[in-house]
Amino acid sequence: MSIQIRDLTYVYSENLPYETVALDHINMEIRDHSFNGIIGHTGSGKSTLIQHLNGLLKPKSGQIIVDGIDITGSDVKLREIRKMIGLVFQYPEYQLFEETVQKDVAFGPLNLGLSQENVEARVREALTLVGLDFSELADRSPFELSGGQKRRVAIAGVIAMKPKVLVLDEPTAGLDPRSHRDILQLIRNVHEQEKNTIVLVSHNMGDIAALSDQVFVMEKGKLILSGTPREVFANTALLKGIGLGLPPAAELMEQVRQRCADAPRDVLTVEEAEQQIVRWFGKDKKC
Amino acid sequence: MLRDITLGQYYPGTSVIHRLDPRLKIVGTFIFLISLFLVRNFIGFGIAVGFLALQIAISRVPLSFIFKGLKPVFLIILFTVVVNMFMTRGEPILQWWIISLTKEGLYRAGFMGLRLVLLIIGSSLLTLTTKPISLTDGIEKLLSPFRGVGLPAHELAMMMTIALRFIPTLLEEADKIMKAQMARGADFESGNLLQRAKSLIPLLVPLFISAFRIAQDLAMAMEARCYRGGDARTRMHAMTFSWRDAVAAICLVAFVAVIVVQSHVL
Repeated sequence: MSIQIRDLTYVYSENLPYETVALDHINMEIRDHSFNGIIGHTGSGKSTLIQHLNGLLKPKSGQIIVDGIDITGSDVKLREIRKMIGLVFQYPEYQLFEETVQKDVAFGPLNLGLSQENVEARVREALTLVGLDFSELADRSPFELSGGQKRRVAIAGVIAMKPKVLVLDEPTAGLDPRSHRDILQLIRNVHEQEKNTIVLVSHNMGDIAALSDQVFVMEKGKLILSGTPREVFANTALLKGIGLGLPPAAELMEQVRQRCADAPRDVLTVEEAEQQIVRWFGKDKKC
Repeated sequence: MLRDITLGQYYPGTSVIHRLDPRLKIVGTFIFLISLFLVRNFIGFGIAVGFLALQIAISRVPLSFIFKGLKPVFLIILFTVVVNMFMTRGEPILQWWIISLTKEGLYRAGFMGLRLVLLIIGSSLLTLTTKPISLTDGIEKLLSPFRGVGLPAHELAMMMTIALRFIPTLLEEADKIMKAQMARGADFESGNLLQRAKSLIPLLVPLFISAFRIAQDLAMAMEARCYRGGDARTRMHAMTFSWRDAVAAICLVAFVAVIVVQSHVL
């Protein structure tokens, strides 16, 4: 499922003294089955942008075309759009409300009007996909779980709706390193198994570089850069200028290259850095 | 959505009116409202309208904001005017069936309507030009003489301040949760009353949990900074009664004097 965004503009508190332009003529294309990363500072408009993707916010002007249908139109059935595009908010564990884990995950699928058996199968599948044991947790209260487990349950609640596009707003915020890794791995698994499109909003350049096919950089409501991670992270000066910087491995190699001009370039991830450094050390080093 | 709701309706600005001591503004507003009840004829109201218009002009709050305050009470004003118009006995101008419009009725309707409008605009000018936090500070200071008789002035003001402080936070929280549940297909808008009440559960349960969490965090943070109530506390923004306030107070006294003389002596 592809999404085209054309000239999208959104203004908060329009016509009030504190009016702010949150999105300023955004144009972007999200391809089918791709893994997309959106980076930018707090307040750069990332969250506002993704809330437009499933009709939670209505733009001031511009279009969002999902599979050929403009979802900003007034005659569009929002339920259909929300079925296709699943949105996991920041700190999604704060939206848990049911008595049991099973009931909470079932909330979304039931709202889609699926049959009881179908819903149960989906709940089981979603919980397994996020790495939780269905038989152990299904009947427990979501409020008794640990922070990382709560977050997985909340993500499962959206995955159970089987969206064709899964949008996640900083899904690893506030987690310990291990839960952080686990959540990213589960997103990768979902992407591979469900063959869906992923849109991941993150502050972590390393994660974005390692996972994305396409990267979009937002700054002050504008889309200032887009392309493959390699294309985007080649703009070192621009990224540093807006306070974002590079993935850690790229930053390290950048520092090395300032001392030795022949150090490897184009390094994004730790794995790449490892290979490149081994190869570089094999040669006759001058420094 | 929810975050568009404005509470306390403060209109940010730096005018003289904005900067007046909140204590003076609160007391002044009361005096102005009371003086409106001393007015006996339209000339008096003319003076009051002029005085209020002058304040609005100085405050630089747009008129559209001033009149917004009238919207919710529009029906009450209309009702008062209509009742007064037709229910007052006197010299009839128009008569139809059992309804009669009298000269006295028309006069009283205009009188009452104008008084109501002035009362509302007068009091909303206070909330439009004073931050809610300064308002509660002002109330605390005004109530503090009554601490001797057991009125917990500081605690009351602190409770009001915290409540006001968290209205936008909780609204934002509610907005977030609502959107998250809508993204999961929740429907808050259709269905009959029972269905709608039921559909609020996914919103209210997380909201209550958030409210308790926020309250607990705040209590902890206050304790960590050794908060222990009102005794001997000093404030960062001490309220000072400046020459500006003195001028404003003199204007107000002059206004009240003119009103009293105009309606009760002349």
